[in-house]
Amino acid sequence: MAPIVSIVDVYKEYSLGKTLVPALRGVSLDVVAGEFISIAGPSGSGKTTLLNLIGCVDVATRGTVVVAGRNTAELSERELTSLRLNTIGFIFQSFNLVPVLSVFQNVEFPLLLQRKLSAPERRKRVMLLLEQVGIATHADHRPSELSGGQRQRVAVARALVGSPQLVLADEPTANLDSVTGEHIIDLMKELNERDGTTFIFSTHDARVMSHANAVIRLEDGQIVGREKPLGGAQAAGMH
Amino acid sequence: MRQLFLIAFRNLVTHRRRTLMLGGAIAGVTMLLVVLLGLLNGIRSTILESATTLMTGQVNVAGFFKVTAGQSAPVVTHYKKVLEVIRPQVPELDYVTERGRGWAKLVSDTGSLQVGVNGIDISNEPGFRRVVQVQQGSLDALTEPGTILLFQEQATRLGVRVGDVITLSSYTLRGAANTVDVKVAAIARNVGLLSMFNTYVPAVTLRALYALNEDSTGAMMLYLKDIRDVPKVEARLREVLPAAGFQLMDKDPRAFFQKFEVVNREGWTGQKLDVTNWQDEIAFVQWTLTAITWLSFVLIGILLTIIAVGIMNTLWIAIRERTREIGTLRAIGMQRMRVLAMFLVEALSLSLASALFGALLGLLVCALINAAHLHAPITVQLFLMREEVHLAVLPSALLGSVLLITGCTTAISLIPSFLAARLQPVTAMHQVG
Ligand SMILES: Nc1ncnc2c1ncn2[C@@H]1O[C@H](COP(=O)(O)OP(=O)(O)OP(=O)(O)O)[C@@H](O)[C@H]1O
Ligand SMILES: [Mg+2]
Repeated sequence: MAPIVSIVDVYKEYSLGKTLVPALRGVSLDVVAGEFISIAGPSGSGKTTLLNLIGCVDVATRGTVVVAGRNTAELSERELTSLRLNTIGFIFQSFNLVPVLSVFQNVEFPLLLQRKLSAPERRKRVMLLLEQVGIATHADHRPSELSGGQRQRVAVARALVGSPQLVLADEPTANLDSVTGEHIIDLMKELNERDGTTFIFSTHDARVMSHANAVIRLEDGQIVGREKPLGGAQAAGMH
Repeated sequence: MRQLFLIAFRNLVTHRRRTLMLGGAIAGVTMLLVVLLGLLNGIRSTILESATTLMTGQVNVAGFFKVTAGQSAPVVTHYKKVLEVIRPQVPELDYVTERGRGWAKLVSDTGSLQVGVNGIDISNEPGFRRVVQVQQGSLDALTEPGTILLFQEQATRLGVRVGDVITLSSYTLRGAANTVDVKVAAIARNVGLLSMFNTYVPAVTLRALYALNEDSTGAMMLYLKDIRDVPKVEARLREVLPAAGFQLMDKDPRAFFQKFEVVNREGWTGQKLDVTNWQDEIAFVQWTLTAITWLSFVLIGILLTIIAVGIMNTLWIAIRERTREIGTLRAIGMQRMRVLAMFLVEALSLSLASALFGALLGLLVCALINAAHLHAPITVQLFLMREEVHLAVLPSALLGSVLLITGCTTAISLIPSFLAARLQPVTAMHQVG
């Protein structure tokens, strides 16, 4: 099966004034469709940077990043944007919902940008997603009226509503308590298993990590290992 | 896209204080613009109405008669023959009146005044009754020879009332001093600059003062059915009159009393005709309009600049506050143009709503000012051309104000909106606020 993400020998350097900060140093990685992958590593190891490159919101200094068969280095700003719109869903650490829109409108937004569905179709699709993430009863609420866990559920629904092939989540549980965080990961896992959507998420939390099919370990901008996490039983034992 | 309007609207509502302040400022400037334009148009329409009755026809055939090269009089001799030429050539003509023109000293028991004296046939001046508001006496009395119409200010300075007799004193065409006694038949309300230097006597009385015959007048004032035909008629007369054997002066777009100096310097003697339009004859008051117009636009310009800074600042703050939101929308697939549109829609809705509101407010203010019959100070009256402040708002001015203000404010908000559109989607991941 062709990988949905294929990264070959990628370097990323940030310039801080005159000094160059190396964030990624020769990373190569393949992710196949349907995977549920966690990126782990200490702070500053390059997790966010790697997710940014996969998410087409940043470009590599060197090396190739191919997402859904497209080499991101060769795409224009417009093409990158529409690649994000149609193939990638984002879940952010601090939810990043539009505060002035209701839950329903937030989730509907990517569909409006995609312009593929009619209004009744959109309504059906949004309500389906809201039900899947268990927040349908709050469809008319503003984000500010929801708890952190509820907001992240809305964010998950928004990430998935446009039927992306790939969902990226940078520390989706960092702003949540551990129980709520695990519920969110369970929810993501459920959606991964149901529709086969690929998930890549970063985390510090070993318990969150344990839900993944595979854990990619980053250290100092390099991949130091790719492993199966501890079994579900062992993870449960850690509670 | 409906959602952009929704976001814009909700953001405006969320930041109520900011929105109200900015919207209030925009509405205020629009209101001011509407009122100023109303004032300008009020003056302009008053001038058009008053001046084209009191001072000039829409097209004038006048001229100068010179006995010697250095001595001219604003007289057209054998004017009936000229009229015979004109009438068949101007089918656009509504009516024509004749005016005698003179410059004389008015002497009363207590004062004297140097003024222009117009010889009129009041029964043949339909516009006169509309424009001149008689305060004392009656216009009908002007049918009697040896009477005069004064304006309030002149009567006060001369210390006379209706029924008093004053003396007109001047020089005849041949240079002999002459006087005529006239009785004050009517005193009319001031009409600004136009009433400063004008008085009216029956045409016979003026002829008597200057020892002119029946067949002489000062000017033939032509009123057309449609004032837009003026240039056409003027041009035609400039061809027709010389062809009929009359000598014609070159075009000089000034009032007749500004031309004496030039005419006196020229070597010719006898009769020359002059064709002018109403704008030429009131060119001397046009500068007041120009001055007020400039002043208004400088004022509006300054206010608009202040508003512009306000808008820039406000949007700037809004964009900084919403950096992560914008980054998020860019990350989930919103194109740059959409982001630009989102902020423009916000600026546009605010400006348009505020400008519309301001325009309505301006209309209301104008109506209130008109209803209050505000009496202007005498110096201001000179420019207003009437005693009361009168504002006339044209629908086109209303629309223009709204469009101008909305256009300017929206154009200015392009700058911060562009900056918003350039924000990188990575900013969505930044953990601030
Ligand atoms: N915009 C930037 N400018 C300069 N340096 C940056 C920038 N973003 C990241 N870096 C640097 O790149 C390296 C990797 O950062 P990155 O944010 O990818 O790490 P991370 O693994 O996500 O860390 P954390 O767990 O704290 O989120 C760090 O040394 C960081 O200081
Ligand atoms: Mg990070």
